[in-house]
Amino acid sequence: MIMDTQLASLLTAGALIIIGIFGALFLDNLIKKVIALAFIGDGANLFLIAMGYKVGGIVYIYLPGMSMSTFSQNASYPLPFALVLTSIVIGASTMAVMLGIIIVLNKKYGSISASKILGDN
Amino acid sequence: MIEYVFMITAVLGAILSLMQRDLLKAAILTGIPGASLAFLYQYLQAPDVALTQAIVGSAIVPVFFALAVLRTRRVEE
Repeated sequence: MIMDTQLASLLTAGALIIIGIFGALFLDNLIKKVIALAFIGDGANLFLIAMGYKVGGIVYIYLPGMSMSTFSQNASYPLPFALVLTSIVIGASTMAVMLGIIIVLNKKYGSISASKILGDN
Repeated sequence: MIEYVFMITAVLGAILSLMQRDLLKAAILTGIPGASLAFLYQYLQAPDVALTQAIVGSAIVPVFFALAVLRTRRVEE
C-alpha cells in the first residue's frame, strides 16, 4: 500500500478537524455550526484512537490460553481508548446542551441565523 | 483494505452534511460519519469505543439534531 492504516487514520482525523473548523467559522446557521463542532470532536477522538493503535497488534482483552508476555508485547495501548469512551458520551451531552440553547434563542429572536441574531449583516 | 473506504466515507459524509440547505437532510447525513467512524474504530483495535460510537454517533446524535430542527425551523434562510 501507499500509506499504512495509522497514517491514513491520522489524515482522516485532520480532515475532519479542518472541515469542522471551516464549518464553525464560515457557516451562518447555528445548527450547522453545532454539527461542525461535533465533527471537530469526532476528529479529536479518531486522532487519539489512531495514536494508540499498534500495527499488527491484538485487541487488549486477556483471553484464557494467552501467555502474559505475548499479551503485553502485542496488545495495543488501552488507556486512551478507555478515556475516548468517556469523551464520546460527554461530547454528545454537551451537544445536547448547545441545541437546547439554540431552541431558546429561536424562541426569543425568531431566527437561528447568527448574523440576524447578532444584528450585523 | 476496507478501512480506506470507511475513511473516505467519513470525510465525504461530513462535507455533504455541511453542504445541505435542508437542515433535516443535514441531520440525517450526520449519521454517516458516525457509523463510518464506528467501523473504523473496530478496525483500529478498539471494540468498546466502536460499540459506544455506533450507538451515540449513528443513532442518538442525528435524533438530537432532528429534534432541534423540529423545534426551530427546517429550511436555512
